[in-house]
Amino acid sequence: MGTKLLSAGLKTFFLGGFFLWTVVPVALVISNSFKTQLDIFSVPPTVFFVPTLENYIRALTSGDFGRYFLNSLFVSATSSLLSVGFGAFAAYSIVSLRPKFAMTIANVLLLGKLVPAITMLLPLFAIMNLTGLLGTYVGPILAHTAINLPFVIWLVMGFIQDIPDDLESAAKIDGCTRMQIFWMIVSPLIMPGLAASAILSMQYSWNELLFSLQLTNLDTYTLPVGISKFVGSISVDWGKSSAAATMTMVPMILLGFFVQKYLARGTVGGAVKG
Amino acid sequence: MLSNASKSRHDGDLLAVVLIAPAAAVVIAAMLLPLVYAFTMSLFDFRPGFETQGKFLFLQNYLRFFQDKIALQSLLLTLVFTFSALLLELLLGVGFSILLLTVPVWVAKVLRGVYCIPLLISPIIVGLIWRYMYDPTFGIVYFIAKQVGCDQFFGGLQQPGWSMLCVVLADVWETTPFVMLCATAGLAAIPGDLYEAARIDGAGWWNRFLRITFPSLRKVLVVVLIIRGTDAFRVFDIIYALTNGGPANSTLSLSIYAFKKGFEQYEMGYAMAISIIMMVVLSLLFGPFLRRSRIRA
Repeated sequence: MGTKLLSAGLKTFFLGGFFLWTVVPVALVISNSFKTQLDIFSVPPTVFFVPTLENYIRALTSGDFGRYFLNSLFVSATSSLLSVGFGAFAAYSIVSLRPKFAMTIANVLLLGKLVPAITMLLPLFAIMNLTGLLGTYVGPILAHTAINLPFVIWLVMGFIQDIPDDLESAAKIDGCTRMQIFWMIVSPLIMPGLAASAILSMQYSWNELLFSLQLTNLDTYTLPVGISKFVGSISVDWGKSSAAATMTMVPMILLGFFVQKYLARGTVGGAVKG
Repeated sequence: MLSNASKSRHDGDLLAVVLIAPAAAVVIAAMLLPLVYAFTMSLFDFRPGFETQGKFLFLQNYLRFFQDKIALQSLLLTLVFTFSALLLELLLGVGFSILLLTVPVWVAKVLRGVYCIPLLISPIIVGLIWRYMYDPTFGIVYFIAKQVGCDQFFGGLQQPGWSMLCVVLADVWETTPFVMLCATAGLAAIPGDLYEAARIDGAGWWNRFLRITFPSLRKVLVVVLIIRGTDAFRVFDIIYALTNGGPANSTLSLSIYAFKKGFEQYEMGYAMAISIIMMVVLSLLFGPFLRRSRIRA
């Protein structure tokens, strides 16, 4: 009985400790966004304070937060659409049409993980510069799509493999062409996979800093780039940057709850099944 | 019959190529072409925008790396960062995924949801949050250090040695949930009767972990090792936000170093050489795991 109580206590201690470790930093930045300068600088952090919207007003009116927001929305929506569209076609092609190569290609896709972003960025910057595309949306969209594609293909392949073969054979006997099979049978069944891929791709693009930092200019900065400029200044305006950070991260946290179970599936799906 | 089958397979080939072409085009344009370009230009000394005036150096940029003290230090620091972050994340991630199996399902669900929040936040914001917490005058980390009586020697982001630890902790905060989720997926695939049978045979929890849990998780862990390890080795955002490589280059990762060389000191050729050396080191480190992770169809 004693050991049981002890183990229950230890369990609560660890799970509760990890809870605090996770939540406190996030709670700090969100509460800072509603605090006055004085409250932000108090040690230990004030728990009860009179909330103010002043930081939000400052973040929205001074600087180009609104523009960065729209830029981020455009870049992440476009690259997510391209990743999912191209990725779903490629996955269908690999699984249904060339099943022999499926596993080889799935493994080759992992090779992309060995290419550091900076290794892609340096030449991409030079190429965009030569072609006059530097500072347009093309750079970040192209880079984000290329990074997302292997992941999306990997995830969608798993969903297509889960469809019973009988369904496709039956459709084939009924005289459906392969593309009809894709549109009428496969795509409705893999909808959850496509939705999850879309959200995850969008999330990556929304949060990504390095490519956007160098491939965009003042007019096309995305949110992370805007925030990095706040952080980079000598004295950080914590109220304003906390407000900007909160507005940037909260939508993704909310969306994230829907795709939580897929965060791991795209990565380890094959390893779990095999 | 026979000709029909071979005809449809031929059509299948063409369709397969057409369907895969857009994805391949993007990867070629954004990854393969730039890589070829990077390798070619890494043989030159040039400033961004002045490619045609570059001076051909052949492999000198690569030789320079191995004589460049800062570069070698940066390689070492990147390895230290990768291994310490990976070790902590694997221990915590696997530990908590197992711990969550021992509580009621709804509690585990809620906790898992909360634990995942850092994973959804942009690394630059993670950097912003931790920079606030590491602030020497009003940061909560210093406050806690004072409470437990080690504020005298805690150096935070200002002191080499401590700065690396601080950066690693921020990274652990952000990506442990990822390891936890992957491990959870792996654990869910283990049939429950296995444990039941082992318990009947009188195996204790340690034996059950060693003989059932660990071997079943091994495949997942190899994949996690590749994904997290390669990500950690390429670390940029968090360091960019927290220390930008300082103080005294004590957190200078290779990505940051190559970035600085290329975009701040305009030594593009050398920066590309550094980034290609990075890729080679990454392949040497994780390539062997990649081959082992091959999944049998």
